Formats: sequence, C-alpha cells, structure tokens
Amino acid sequence: MIHLHNVTKIYKQNNVTALEDINIDIEKGEFVFIVGTSGSGKSTLMKLLMREEVATAGQIIVDGKNVNNLKPKEIPYLRRALGVIFQDFRLLEDRTVYENVAFAMQVIEAPRHIMQKSVNTVLDIVGIRDKMKHFPGQLSGGEQQRVAIARAIVNDPKIVIADEPTGNLDPETSWDIMDIFQRINAAGTTIIMATHDKTIVDHMYRRVIELEHGHIVRDESRGAYEKFGEKWS
Amino acid sequence: MKLQTIQYYFREVIISMIRNRWMSFASIGTVAVSLFILGVFLILVTNMTKMASSLESQVQISAYLNDALTDEGRDEVETMIKDMKSVSKVEYVTKEQALKILQDRLGEQKKILDALGDSNPLPNSFTVTVKNASDVKKTAVMIADLYGVEEVKYGQDVAANLFDLTHLIRVFGFLLMLLLTGATIFIISNTIRLTVFARRKEIAIMKYVGATDWFIRWPFILEGMGLGFIGGGISAIILRSFYSAMVNKVASTLAFFPMVEQFPFLNYVTIGIITAGIIIGILGSTISLKKFMEV
Repeated sequence: MIHLHNVTKIYKQNNVTALEDINIDIEKGEFVFIVGTSGSGKSTLMKLLMREEVATAGQIIVDGKNVNNLKPKEIPYLRRALGVIFQDFRLLEDRTVYENVAFAMQVIEAPRHIMQKSVNTVLDIVGIRDKMKHFPGQLSGGEQQRVAIARAIVNDPKIVIADEPTGNLDPETSWDIMDIFQRINAAGTTIIMATHDKTIVDHMYRRVIELEHGHIVRDESRGAYEKFGEKWS
Repeated sequence: MKLQTIQYYFREVIISMIRNRWMSFASIGTVAVSLFILGVFLILVTNMTKMASSLESQVQISAYLNDALTDEGRDEVETMIKDMKSVSKVEYVTKEQALKILQDRLGEQKKILDALGDSNPLPNSFTVTVKNASDVKKTAVMIADLYGVEEVKYGQDVAANLFDLTHLIRVFGFLLMLLLTGATIFIISNTIRLTVFARRKEIAIMKYVGATDWFIRWPFILEGMGLGFIGGGISAIILRSFYSAMVNKVASTLAFFPMVEQFPFLNYVTIGIITAGIIIGILGSTISLKKFMEV
C-alpha cells in the first residue's frame, strides 16, 4: 500500500535534513505508529505521503501512485485515497457536524443521493449522530475529533493518516478515539498514526516505527513506545 | 460540471458577498462608475463620428453674398458657378427664405427670433450642389474667389474639425479608461483576496480531502464575475436612461442634430458594458488567486 525507498527530504530554505535514506513498506490493513521526539521527522513523513511536500530524493509509492512524479492535476486524486486527521481537528466553525462531514463529499462532487447515507453511516461509526445538528463550538474536544474522523473516512479512503490525533485530548477520551481507529482498521483501512502518547502505543501493541534525527532507529512489527518498554496485549 | 456543484458554487458566492458586503459594495460601485464613464465616452465618440460623417458626405456648399451686390452681379455669379464643371445644381436662396428655413428648424424655439424684430441679418445665398463629394473643397475655393461672394461654408470643413476633436476625445477616453480599469481590477482583486483569506481554512480542508484546483477556484472566479456583472448592469441601466433622456431632449431642442438612434445602439452599449464588467471581474479574481492561493 505504501512503499518508501531511500527517501530523503532536505528543506531548502534552511538546509535542514528532515529525513534521510528512509525505507518503509506498509501493507494493506496495517496499523502503524510513527513515534519519535519533536523534530525527529514524523510530520515531514506524513507530509511526504500526502504530497504536501516533495521528497528531495528517493521514491514514494502510495496506493500504486508514484507520489513524487504526480502532476499538480493528479494530487487531488492521491488525496482522495487518504483520510487525514490532525491534532487540532480543523473543523469549520460555521457549519454543523453534518455539514462538516458532508463538505468532504461535496467538494469532490460525490453524488448527492449517496451523500446523506454515507454521512449518517460514518456519524454512526464515530458515535456522534445524535449531535449532527450541533456546531463544533458546542462539542467537547473528543466529540470534535470524532467529527474530524468521520470527515476523514466519509469518502472511504484506503489509508488514514493521523497526526497526533489524541494530542489535545484527556486519556479517557483518547481511548474512545483509539477504539474508533481500531474499528476502522478492522474494516480493512490502513492506518498510519504519529503520536507522542506512550500509553496508547504500549497498550495497542502494533507496528512501531521510531524516528530520530530523520533516521529510522527502530521498526518492530509489534512494539511499544520505547525500545525495551513493557509489553501489553 | 454537475448541477449540485453549480448550486454549491452559487450558494458560496452569495454567502461570500454577504460576508464581505462592504467590499462587495465598493467593488460593484467602482465597476459601475468606471463603466459608466466608459459608456459616456462611447456614446460621445459614436455620435460625434456620426455627425462628422454625415457632414462629410454632404455635397452642398453655401455661398453667402454681399448685401451690396446688385441683381446683375448676382446673375453673373450664378452663371459663373453654373459653368463650373463640378457643379450639378445651383439654387438661389433669398434672405427671406433663409429666415423661414431657420424658423422651421428651430420649431418651438422660433420665438427667440422675435428679438430680431423686423430686421433680417441673414444674407442672400446660393446653395450649390456638387456632383462628387471629392470636388467639394476645390469648388468651394473657386466660388469663394468670385466677386460679391462674402463667405463660403461647406460640411467637410466642419467635419475635419469635428474629426480632430473626436480623435482627441477618443485618446483621452482611452487613457482614462486604462486608469479606471486598472483601479477596478485592483479593487476587485482586493475583495477576492479578502474572500480567500476568510476561507483559508475551508481551502486547506478542500485540498486535504482531494478537491481539484478548479473546484476550489470556481467560486472565487464566479464571485469576481458576479461583482463585474452587477456593476456593469447598474451602469448600463443608468446609461440607457441617460441616453434616452438626452435623445428626447435633443429631439425637442436641437432637432437638426443627428443623434445615433437609441436602438439597437443602446443594446450594443449594454452588451459591451456588461461584458467589460465580467472580464474585469474575472481578471481581478484571477490575479488574487494567483497571488494569494497556491492552487
């Protein structure tokens, strides 16, 4: 599903090497945590996958597409295969929960007759259908993140990319959110999640890729947040 | 493009215009004023050109005679003019006839001639018709040289001056238009910039979920077009009533002044002004999109 081959990213503006010689293969249906301190290259990796940034060297294949060689016109179609979730939710404050989710379908010109059904389905999946007429300002952080997840998956992406999705949430709410991710993953969606949350990574006991100064220092198929961390199952 | 998408665009444009209502208002106003001025120049130039051309095609020369000229002298002048090869017809107009013609032309305003009392300041004259318009000038010069002819008047003379003036107005109008168009494009691009800024969050989300660049651009371009269209429409409505009022006024006071007929002329002006408004709007928003949105 995702293949990175000798990928290097150097930011030209300040000549910082964010990633160097990265090789990663992620298969369909995997759940992968990307861990590492701030500045280790996690965010850059995410941005390369979405083609928000272009790799300086190496090859990136996402869903069969050679990401570096995409023409500007083709980038939207890469992004339709990806669902993106951020730490700060990024909802539109002047639209209801329902409208926020439907927006993602509207702007890729999804047929209207499937829109209502799809939006209701994903609102059910994230468990927030009862608040679909609320505005984001009337929701708690956890509820807002549920809406953001619903928006990310409403177009049925093959891959969900989540950048610190629990970073703004309390531990209990974080578990509810992780529960949703697990269910999405169980339905066959590949999930790549950058996180700082040790407890979650340790509890989930999934594949962990650790980055440090732009290098992969660890890639375990079932791992914990730290290399010799306590294992749970 | 799907119908639901078009509906979506229109909704977005209306929301945006209401959200930035003062800037939208300013843009529409600027477009309307600029295009109104353009329209005034257009109407002025068209009418002056028509007037000049109609004067130019006149093959008549008026030769005004000295009041002191005797009847014999007059006959002699008439024979000499008739003998000229380029002349096809010579008609004698007495000063009484001339006054009558003037009264007819003035129509309702003929009362102003009452101020003259019983005196008649108009001279006797010959109205000379020339065979070809190209011979008018040469013939006029020859007639002016004859004894007893005080003054010669012909259309081409006036036409040449009128063409010069029209040319001047055209150049001036063009320069003014460049300036106004620049200002209008600037203010529209500013309005669209505000819209882009107000919607930066939406634009970012649209990009993340895979909206195409054109899908993102269209509402902004439509907004620019809409501002241009409304501004152009307003100025066209004002121009139309302005011109028809002017035509009516001229018809009742200066009946001999040949104005361009209202229709279809005004329809062309309307189409031209509205099209210009739309183009200005598209240019304004395109500039803003290029500068402020990396899509």
